[in-house]
Amino acid sequence: MSDAAPAADQTARLQTRRLRLRRDGLGSRIGVALLLSLLCAAALIALAGHNPLEAFLAIVQGAVGSQHQIGASLNRTTPYLLSGAGVALCFRAGIINIGAEGQIAVGGAGAAAAALALAGAPSLVAIPLALVGGALAGSLWAGLAAAIHLGRGVHEVLVTLLLNFIALLLVQQLLAGPLGQPGAGFLQSSLMPRSAWLSHLAGFDVHAGILIAVVAAAALSFVLWWTRFGFALRVSGSSRLAAAYAGFSLARLTWGAMLTAGALAGLAGGIEVLGMHRRLIEGFSLGFGFKAVTVALLGAMEPLAVVPAALFVGLLESGSLAMQRQIGVPTALITVIEGLTMLFVLAATAARR
Amino acid sequence: MIEFLAAAIRIATPLALAALGGILSERAGVFAVGLEGMMLAGAFAAAIGAWATSEPIAGLLLAPLGGGVIGLAVAIVAVRFRADNMVTGLAVNVLALGLTSYLMRILASGGRPVSMRLPLLTALPIPALSDLPVIGPLLFAQPPLTYLTALGCLLMTLFLNRTQAGLTLRATGENPEAVFASGGHPARVRMLAVIACGAVAGLGGAVLTLQQVGTFTDGMTGGRGYMALAALIVGRWTPWGAAAACLVFGAAEAFELRLQSFGVPVSSYVVQMAPYLIALTVLAGLGQSSKLPAAIGQPLPSTR
Repeated sequence: MSDAAPAADQTARLQTRRLRLRRDGLGSRIGVALLLSLLCAAALIALAGHNPLEAFLAIVQGAVGSQHQIGASLNRTTPYLLSGAGVALCFRAGIINIGAEGQIAVGGAGAAAAALALAGAPSLVAIPLALVGGALAGSLWAGLAAAIHLGRGVHEVLVTLLLNFIALLLVQQLLAGPLGQPGAGFLQSSLMPRSAWLSHLAGFDVHAGILIAVVAAAALSFVLWWTRFGFALRVSGSSRLAAAYAGFSLARLTWGAMLTAGALAGLAGGIEVLGMHRRLIEGFSLGFGFKAVTVALLGAMEPLAVVPAALFVGLLESGSLAMQRQIGVPTALITVIEGLTMLFVLAATAARR
Repeated sequence: MIEFLAAAIRIATPLALAALGGILSERAGVFAVGLEGMMLAGAFAAAIGAWATSEPIAGLLLAPLGGGVIGLAVAIVAVRFRADNMVTGLAVNVLALGLTSYLMRILASGGRPVSMRLPLLTALPIPALSDLPVIGPLLFAQPPLTYLTALGCLLMTLFLNRTQAGLTLRATGENPEAVFASGGHPARVRMLAVIACGAVAGLGGAVLTLQQVGTFTDGMTGGRGYMALAALIVGRWTPWGAAAACLVFGAAEAFELRLQSFGVPVSSYVVQMAPYLIALTVLAGLGQSSKLPAAIGQPLPSTR
């Protein structure tokens, strides 16, 4: 490994990262945080003049009330799980990657371009290649952030944020130009060739994306806990100094974590395009970046624990439409719950010195 | 040309006010990622005040309160509980987005946001000065919050560099242990700075609702808080520097509007990237900063 001991000024900069959790009673701390945010949500529902219990019941029924709704909930969960697991990996290493939104957008464009180019190929070729195209595009976008961050010392939060805005505009530009459907009137691509559609699993209203996402989360957990790279990531997340003295290359770790997270976010974008919309549409990734951060925090930055966290957010969102329709509580409540959950989890788990 | 400069100033004003708030927070040692949420809450509170009373002044008074509440949330979680500054900022941005959308809808009670047509703050031409050719209409016939922004730059510079409180605030961002050793309360300073940041950024949001748009829409800040954050870094954490950076971003956006109105055959999406590309390029060009407050983002040691 190259840069063994960091220079003094770099050391000072390294110490500014403290995205660490208290390990003692972590599960119950997160549980309390979740409970508090739901209590606040209940108060807001009551403020609107509705019964909180009825509203929560409507969410549950809307999310898991029928086989179709369960499928819709799982489909919603998929992109949050994929991108959230990647964000969790970055957070573990103390890299605050909030670029999932842009990486998902670019990944969707990559997958759409690949699928359109592969029109006529059999599904067994078209789907994997299109998804790989999405993952590569997402990786590329995350790699751009890593290059600017490492090369020029710009904080990764700013780089990934600004690249999110640029990515959204880039996808719009692609839809206005080469990828767009001529004469559609909207910014959207042509329909994906049928052979590239991610079809529903036999007998369920859910596409294969959720399986890919769970396998990816498990694989990421394996990498984090059973490989040298994962160990180095965890060390650098706990103490950048210790990682540097142990001879781990911080630059290489950052590249690894960012490219992996970018690939997962890009994959999420590809799955949205091939499985949900079946075309690339403008702004399909809006808000996904923050949800990825929410589920990463709620899942205690542990890829496997991100599975229930993403499921929670997916169910909440999927059921919120029923809540709005039946009870009259606006779906914006879900965004409030997500914001509150992040805040309470942060407060409840912040490491003390 | 005059129109172009006027547009640049108009676009820069909310950014510059938010950046002024952000300087308070960052110089005290807390990253100001929450500017977006503070602006949004301020814009919302201003809209509610002006809508409920039909007086824009009431909105002006409520705006710092809205932003300050978000600042308080950051102060509690990031300073008191020592959570990561950056992620806390993101969390309050999500919270502000959700809360303002939710409240707009329950005000109307029908699932749709309440519709508002707000009275706008009108331009206050300064006698004599506004009669000057060219610069008169450009600089001295502005609405009140634009004057406040310029005045704010001056006051903030004086506060940071010429007052004891400003010195304590800067010391808290550079070396909180020294502040503690000399009998100060670094945690208190940081909390107050972040709440004040919210109040000032809230006024920045009020520029949008009370001076420019005349209504409140979901997520209407649209990333302006993040641009303000980039501006204060580009401006090296100084009020005038940040304001200059905001003017550059404003000029980039104004230029984009001009191109569109002239029908220049350049894709609008590429042109819209300009402010973000400029911000990214300048940040990358400046490189790693030695001017960054030394203790920024570092939680305070527990002092009991």
